[in-house]
Amino acid sequence: MNKGATVEEKLHIAEQGLASENPLRVYGDTLPAVFPLELLVPEVRQQTPAVGQRVTRPDGRMHGLGQTRYIDDMAFPGMLYAKIKRAGVASARIVSIDTSEAEAMPGVVAVLTGRDVPVNSFGPSFQDQPVLADERVFHAGDGVAAVAAVSEQIAEEALTKIKVEYEALPAVFDPLEAIKDDAPKVHATESNIYARKVIIKGDVEQALAASDHVFEGQYRTQMVEHVPIEPHASIALWDANGRVTVYSSLGRITLGRADLARTLRMPINRIRLVGTIVGGNFGGKNEITQEPVLALLSKKTGRPVKGVYTRSEEFIASTTRHPFIMDFKTGVNREGRILARKIRLVLDGGAYCSWSETTLGKAAILSVGPYRIDNVHVEACVVYTNKTMTGAMRGFGAPQVCFAYESQMDEIASALGIDPLEIRLRNAFETGSISPTGQVLDSVVVKESLLQAARRFGWKEGGA
Amino acid sequence: MRAFNYVAAGDIQQAVRLLAEHGSEAKILAGGTDLLADLKSSPHPPRMVIDISRTQGLGGIEVTDKGLRIGALVTHTEIMKSSVIQEHFPALVDAAHTIGAVQTRNLGTLGGNLVTAVPSMDSGPTLMALDAWVVLAGNSGNRQMPLTEFFKGPRRTALKPDELLMEIVIPAENIGKPVNFLKSGLRKGQALALVNAAGSLWLDAKGRIREPRIALGAVAPTVIRAPNAEKCLAGQVPTPEIMVEAGKIAAEECKPITDFRASATYRKEIVEVLVKRVLMHAHAQALKK
Amino acid sequence: MDIRLTVNGSQHALSVPPETTLLGLLRNQLGHTGAKLGCDVGDCGACTVIVDGKPVNACLMLAGQADGREILTIEGLASREQLHPIQRAFEEHASLQCGFCGPGVILSAKALLDENPDPSRQEVRDGLAGNLCRCTGYTKMIDAVLHAARVMRNETDHSGAKVEG
Repeated sequence: MNKGATVEEKLHIAEQGLASENPLRVYGDTLPAVFPLELLVPEVRQQTPAVGQRVTRPDGRMHGLGQTRYIDDMAFPGMLYAKIKRAGVASARIVSIDTSEAEAMPGVVAVLTGRDVPVNSFGPSFQDQPVLADERVFHAGDGVAAVAAVSEQIAEEALTKIKVEYEALPAVFDPLEAIKDDAPKVHATESNIYARKVIIKGDVEQALAASDHVFEGQYRTQMVEHVPIEPHASIALWDANGRVTVYSSLGRITLGRADLARTLRMPINRIRLVGTIVGGNFGGKNEITQEPVLALLSKKTGRPVKGVYTRSEEFIASTTRHPFIMDFKTGVNREGRILARKIRLVLDGGAYCSWSETTLGKAAILSVGPYRIDNVHVEACVVYTNKTMTGAMRGFGAPQVCFAYESQMDEIASALGIDPLEIRLRNAFETGSISPTGQVLDSVVVKESLLQAARRFGWKEGGA
Repeated sequence: MRAFNYVAAGDIQQAVRLLAEHGSEAKILAGGTDLLADLKSSPHPPRMVIDISRTQGLGGIEVTDKGLRIGALVTHTEIMKSSVIQEHFPALVDAAHTIGAVQTRNLGTLGGNLVTAVPSMDSGPTLMALDAWVVLAGNSGNRQMPLTEFFKGPRRTALKPDELLMEIVIPAENIGKPVNFLKSGLRKGQALALVNAAGSLWLDAKGRIREPRIALGAVAPTVIRAPNAEKCLAGQVPTPEIMVEAGKIAAEECKPITDFRASATYRKEIVEVLVKRVLMHAHAQALKK
Repeated sequence: MDIRLTVNGSQHALSVPPETTLLGLLRNQLGHTGAKLGCDVGDCGACTVIVDGKPVNACLMLAGQADGREILTIEGLASREQLHPIQRAFEEHASLQCGFCGPGVILSAKALLDENPDPSRQEVRDGLAGNLCRCTGYTKMIDAVLHAARVMRNETDHSGAKVEG
């Protein structure tokens, strides 16, 4: 009997681990049915049974009951509250930090500055971001000191008692200014340009010269904050064994653990990072922010320490989407076929690299658009400025370049008197098209998608 | 939030007495939608918060022999639901509806919106276009003044430190006056006005415009009237052309600033359009009556 | 200061500093963490609770102002036996992705349907205008509220089947 065999097997396993006279017993009738797992593994390129079906989320009920525990809903006995003092100046040398008055306040348990951080730099690709600025301030949202107190209110009050003396340094805010040779340097490097990508295919200059029309335009996009409704939040618990557990709203806990290990200068196996349900991420919670501060405050005090960003800190001290300045020069023939496209992208990287390299690469590759263009020249760079750092956000640079190439597509269509849909169909990728970076594309449905969308919203009928 | 003391005033006398006692150290808490947000970020919080949110004598909407009286504590939701206001001044309902969202309208009060005196307030223009006045309670008695004199600048009013805004009155002769309010924001919900505008007018026996009023928000340090535009309308036959003209004049006489929400030029262009539209809507109402 | 209030039908008497917000009181003193701190200035609606029948931003109300009042939080909506129809509709329409805004949205919807059992789509949008969501988007939420409204009017059951008689 099949059912019985399963029961026997389970009992056997249970007994191995238990020397008790009352071993765990599992009764056959209560066994759950074996889930037909193989049916849910989709065949490659076949529709899964899930498409077109209403699905519910496994965590939906807890959310709706208000019982999901996000970081700020958790507390530990003896927990302290941390607050970080923000510089408020964009570029300065820190002359001195006087924390004595804050430390003397009743209810303040510990104060931390950059000098207390074992390795005061981190970042997912370049380690250019200080945990707490100790010598230089690179943007106004930089933390310069942190406080752990018995209440949030006392911690906030203590921040006002910390005296920081700054010596103002020249700052640069416009990325086009920042790439000039004589611009103030945000970091101690020769240039503010910290990453560059160039893509060359065919001969752009020759193709531009041979084009019937050449269109030039500059397109700009603005900085965007992710605004997760849940602000960044973490709780750190340093234990007597010299291990630290961090509960965090971080989305990428494995990377976060590595960054934490670096800043705390301790082996990764002494760090436990517990991810919980994240109340909105969108790329903004991909890297550590205040976690090393909380861990060190917990080490200093021997108590759990919680930190929750204010909404204003979300804007000034977490990553944002890169503002782009995009110059597009496009050559087309009379029929509206694109022959050449020359692009310059300048990404405003803000004060730190964060995920700029990834963003830069993706933006450069996608900047040509989903169009068959034989002659391409893309030059893209990302630049330091004394502003809030930019990093990962949904699409990693794809939305910005899409705004530019589609805007220009409409301008070309309008100038040549071609229907905007038609000009896209004439140029769109097809199966077998080769991307600017040489990838032969398979399963391309750009035209089908365009046509279907046009049909659905009544493009031909003039509806929009 | 930093520490402060708190007292709930039972009646108006107690509230003004407390104000006199604590002077500039005190802040009045009504709906709290502005005050609490300020208290959380203020480096210099008040020593004393005087809660009038349940103080007697500051609520209610009623028609008296002086006009339509709206207590300072009346919330935006109460305005939207008041049958008296729905009947006489649908524009006030529209204006209240554009403020914040359900939650903030349930808390926020008309008095609070006026006292905060933000130039983009949505309560001000309609009331100003109806020649409303305010009654202030103080230790030495009450005084009243037109709304136009109440606003002194951005976040500044004629209130003395020991005074409290008690009620707003729309004069009896203006009850039922055709009036319209429009707002232009960056979004439909929870947005501050880039420009808002209200216009009111009567038609005389010959069908000409009488007592035209135009009030504009977010285009000057306070909510303002547009006197030159009003002058151009008075005594005229209400044609679309004259309303377009009034819009142009209003755009000339307002003084908007350029900020991150909109440029001054753009604001002037919206003024032109909104003024024309509120006048047309008010005129349409007048024709129905 | 001393405060007495009713939360989800239970009476509480407690003493808190005057600067305590209703949200702080609910979350920190009473352990009702369903209402969230999102923006702390009344824009996002994550802290929405129902006070004397009206949805308000608990972050913009002092605990003192809640003295003597009746509060409903998300924790008081379902019974041990069953979900509130709005909660069930949100679950079945997958209307909550990260869920952080959920308790506020559901309470706004509850207040709306209490007052207007048969709202139009536009009225639902208006009723939820004070609750910001960044993950799910509003379409599924509005669908869920309209569905819950039909269930609460006994026009359909949860599966959407028409109720006879």
